[in-house]
Amino acid sequence: MRTKASIPEAGMGGQTRTRSKAGHEKRVNGGIYALLVIMSVIWLAPFVFLIFQSFRSYLTETGGMVDYLLPKNGWSLDNYAFLFEGSDFFSWWGSTLLASIVLGALQMGILALIKREVNKRDASEGKTQYLFLALSLLVVFVLSAAACVILHGKPDSLILSALPALVLYMAAGYVAGRFYLKQDSRLLQSIPGYPVETPLDKAKKIGGLGALYAGVIAIVMCIIKPMNASQYLIWYGNTLTIALFVAVIQTVIVLSVSYALSRIRFKGRKLIMNVVLILGMFPGFLTMITLYFLLKQLGLTQEGAVPGLILIYCASSGMGYYISKGFFDTIPKSLDESARIDGATRLQVFYKIIMPLAKPIVIYTILMAFMAPWGDFVFASYVAFGKSNSYNVAVGLYRWVNVNDYQGYFTRFCAGGVLVALPITILFLCLQKYYVEGVTGGAVKG
Amino acid sequence: MASVSLRHIKKVYENKVEAVHDFCLEIRDKEFVVFVGPSGCGKSTTLRMVAGLEDISGGELYIGDRLVNDVEPKDRDIAMVFQNYALYPHISVYENMAFSLRLRKMPNAEVHRRVCEAAEILGITEYLGRKPKQLSGGQRQRVAIGRAIVREPQVFLMDEPLSNLDAKLRNQMRAEIILLRQKLDTTFIYVTHDQTEAMTLGDRIVIMRDGFIEQVGTPMEVFEMPTNIFVAEFIGAPKMNILKTRLVKENGRYYVTPFGTRIPVDGERAQALEKKGVGTKDILLGVRPEHIVLSAPGEHAIPCTLEVNEMMGSELHLHVKTADETRLIVRVPTINLEGDDRTNMNFGKPLNLTFESKVMHFFDPDSQKNLLV
Repeated sequence: MRTKASIPEAGMGGQTRTRSKAGHEKRVNGGIYALLVIMSVIWLAPFVFLIFQSFRSYLTETGGMVDYLLPKNGWSLDNYAFLFEGSDFFSWWGSTLLASIVLGALQMGILALIKREVNKRDASEGKTQYLFLALSLLVVFVLSAAACVILHGKPDSLILSALPALVLYMAAGYVAGRFYLKQDSRLLQSIPGYPVETPLDKAKKIGGLGALYAGVIAIVMCIIKPMNASQYLIWYGNTLTIALFVAVIQTVIVLSVSYALSRIRFKGRKLIMNVVLILGMFPGFLTMITLYFLLKQLGLTQEGAVPGLILIYCASSGMGYYISKGFFDTIPKSLDESARIDGATRLQVFYKIIMPLAKPIVIYTILMAFMAPWGDFVFASYVAFGKSNSYNVAVGLYRWVNVNDYQGYFTRFCAGGVLVALPITILFLCLQKYYVEGVTGGAVKG
Repeated sequence: MASVSLRHIKKVYENKVEAVHDFCLEIRDKEFVVFVGPSGCGKSTTLRMVAGLEDISGGELYIGDRLVNDVEPKDRDIAMVFQNYALYPHISVYENMAFSLRLRKMPNAEVHRRVCEAAEILGITEYLGRKPKQLSGGQRQRVAIGRAIVREPQVFLMDEPLSNLDAKLRNQMRAEIILLRQKLDTTFIYVTHDQTEAMTLGDRIVIMRDGFIEQVGTPMEVFEMPTNIFVAEFIGAPKMNILKTRLVKENGRYYVTPFGTRIPVDGERAQALEKKGVGTKDILLGVRPEHIVLSAPGEHAIPCTLEVNEMMGSELHLHVKTADETRLIVRVPTINLEGDDRTNMNFGKPLNLTFESKVMHFFDPDSQKNLLV
């Protein structure tokens, strides 16, 4: 920037100098990029190998490890099919999605009708719209539950199969809330310069929400397993359950702790921060043996490994408050004060003012909390030891290649690994912008 | 609309620092009171205690007839404007202003009416759809004020609202606050460190130092009869000249004798001194820069040389040095200058000054208190 600014003063001489400088910069940048490419190839090589291996059929070729990269007998999805063998996951997922789309359209229709009704009667601010809303949602809820049962043909799993419908129910509630409670779009349109949503924005939003919803259905199914599940799906479900619970609980705890430490002055605040800092220097593995016996007393090993592991990962999560406290410290305190004078309680200040401003750090916290149990092997292996239905994916896959048959199961192991990497990769691609902001944002004022 | 009553209010911080000592003040309904003082004098702390953002360590605070010591800020029915605006960056101006109303579950139509009305008053209607960071400083301050007035609160608190604005905008906003005050007609408490703001805005001014109230009074009162040297120096710009000198009583007449002259004290001041029974004694004499005039050499005239000449347009601020190295500030309206004085007011120029004897201030050198109060 500085060189550019100096051009008018320096005249011709300055310009040539700038040009040669730009050339130098280009060479340096090129070098850096080349280095990065080489390094990422080295780093990614095992992963690339894993992906290619996962597409080699264990039926037509060997299922073991080989010394060539690409599959010889053609690409096949046999390994992936094996992971889902004996489960009707996809038919459940598809039918639930279909039901949701139909019911969602119905829901939107009803909402549109209500909206027209409300618009007609201008002053109908008040209780009636809540009633309308509640009724319509109830109807949809019942309908979707019934539809799920009919589609899946399993009346005994009524509650389980209605759960995706509950998600839809909440989503519709959110949409309806935006319609009526948060802002009256007609009033806002009269304001000059108020941003108007274009159809493209709307389409993007709906598309995003749709993808999110399809993902949510898959996740809910993995967790509650209303369908017949293969062994891999059980492990996957366990991992997902643990990671999701930990992500939610840990995020709530970490954010509350760091907000409190950042905003509220109480006796012993400094002491707590110092003690936590020192305690944090001891590795968590020190407690492994003790933890095992404690969990065993509570019946949270083997069969109860999933809740037991959730407990382990969530314990002491408040100790990771440092980065988010640093971030909260950068948000001016007068915002809190102003909101409190405006009539907000501390909780309302937190979720109406601070949370939206701290979005990067919230996302960073969720990602961190999700990743740790997602990829954990050590705790998961000894807490669930000997009970294959309680394994998480890491332990399960390890036992495939270790105990069963290394030569036969390697390609299936690879396929399982690819599926484990998938959600994390998608998460990072979507949220990397916030992730970087979160890490550096907190670092400026630590 | 309500009165505010601060009775023996005290603030002691956790580290035992006492920021406000025994603050007593009755603020009448619809009054505009300004807290003014140098930084660290406890004025903001007092305001924040009224707002409920700081705990009150001792004493009683009434808003209207209600004791509010332990009432949450949100239940005190007050609104506050902050120095750094404190706008919510993630929502539009409209939502910023509507925030408090929505928290009160006010119907949309009513929210809309109030926000638009406030925006109209402040002239920010066209910015309602924008985010705060797309606004300039003055516009942001308007939004902050708008956010406070939509509430229609009983008491309006302002914590140095103009300090972040540039000088020109500050003057403009000051005038607008006066206008706004006439429109709203509610109780205002305004904190500032700028005596000009205090003088122009306040019905009454509270001058504070180190957690103590130094003087409470109308702008005229504090200007004409400061209770002590601190107030005398704080109010008025440039600040008052304070000279060590001797008050002499001879044949029933008072004289002050700065720099070997003898200036008779006339009018009300002399009567007041007589009434207080003040005799001959050492005093600190206070003379405002505008009460010193350039004069011809003579018996009452003090010879001195010019050091600095600050040309302000309508007036000159002259920093002069007397024979015994005492420095004085003199304020001379340009309109009164003639001939050589007008064109040639340079360093080292010899000048003669006299004091307007009717408006001199006499302070006790030990207690620093005004002898006439």
